[in-house]
Amino acid sequence: MARSWATMEDFEAFLDGGGLVEADDDMPDAYRRAVFAFIEMHANSELMGALTERDWIPKTPGLRHKMAVLAKTQDEIGHGHLLYMIAADLGVKTRTQMLEDLFAGKSRFHNVFHYRAVTWGDQVAIAFLVDAAALISQQAVFKNCSYGPYRRILRRIITEEGFHMRLGEDRMMRIAEGTARQRGMFQESLDRWFWPALQLFGPDSVPDDELLRWRIKSERNEVLRDRWVQRFVPMLQSYGFTVPAPDLRWDTEAERWDVGPIDWEPLRRTLAQGGPDSARRIGEAADNWQHTAWVRAALSDGNGSGA
Amino acid sequence: MHVYEVFIKKDGRDEFRHVGALEAATDELAVVLAREGYLRRAEGDRVWVVRRDHVVVADDDFVDPNADKPHRHHDGAAVADRRRASRQSQQ
Repeated sequence: MARSWATMEDFEAFLDGGGLVEADDDMPDAYRRAVFAFIEMHANSELMGALTERDWIPKTPGLRHKMAVLAKTQDEIGHGHLLYMIAADLGVKTRTQMLEDLFAGKSRFHNVFHYRAVTWGDQVAIAFLVDAAALISQQAVFKNCSYGPYRRILRRIITEEGFHMRLGEDRMMRIAEGTARQRGMFQESLDRWFWPALQLFGPDSVPDDELLRWRIKSERNEVLRDRWVQRFVPMLQSYGFTVPAPDLRWDTEAERWDVGPIDWEPLRRTLAQGGPDSARRIGEAADNWQHTAWVRAALSDGNGSGA
Repeated sequence: MHVYEVFIKKDGRDEFRHVGALEAATDELAVVLAREGYLRRAEGDRVWVVRRDHVVVADDDFVDPNADKPHRHHDGAAVADRRRASRQSQQ
């Protein structure tokens, strides 16, 4: 063990002083479990997101975009790998346990991957709105995260997410310049995905949120959510789309967009019992995991090298 | 399966830098996974993978900063002071 702390007070003083925790430090168990759960959920979300993306590879219009979607799917699978690796180093679960829990429906991942993407417009809305929401969250963690390995790996993940977001915006602009029917399709997708994307940030942070106290996250959920709203409401409007928030208003005093009251029930329900597409998604991922057992066996056999 | 630590280097300028880890059965597969996971967009032109159980790690105590060896440093302040004093005495 590299470092240890006698009490939680000592540990928190170390964090308050800007200290970075490393994998081999003898960190308090509560911190270890909190940072593990946070990274595991991020890893699961990358993997489930990659599987959504993969569904759309054959249906992506145009060769250039099809190739970009392939690369993006590889990126997301790669992010899953990087994150499962640093999560496993915390010693709470092995990589295999994390994957088996995910495919058994025991683990959490982002709310947005519990819904079904019905049209290409949905896929574009996800790539644009959801990737941006994920990027805003990750940037806030990266800025000041107390867990060193996570912070360092986020640097590379964020770089690649930046490519994905620009790709999403590129696709959105193409649809915006398209026919009335294409624009109509995207408006319908926006109606379906605006609120789930906004809810990715979660409800307002509780005052004594330990993720904030321990600098696993560094900004409150409502602050991140507002950053997304201020950026995407005017952007969607500038392309002539309608933001599906009946109480949306421009607060002239604060000079900010206000989306009105947020109904958190769909998020609570999704996280508690799954959403309309959870069973299919988890089922397909689990089937895929079983069907590829021979690949893992072949790779771990290591070509007869005795590894 | 073994855990490998991955190091990459850019453009012949920088030192090799640790970027993360991966799990692989053989050295050959470790290099393939390192390329696919860590060198997707020309992040480096050289890569090392090292099995984690082959990395020799020194105790923190052993490599503690040598606070008791100030003679190994020279911040240049004393030299600058004397140089200034010498210049002033010549004027």
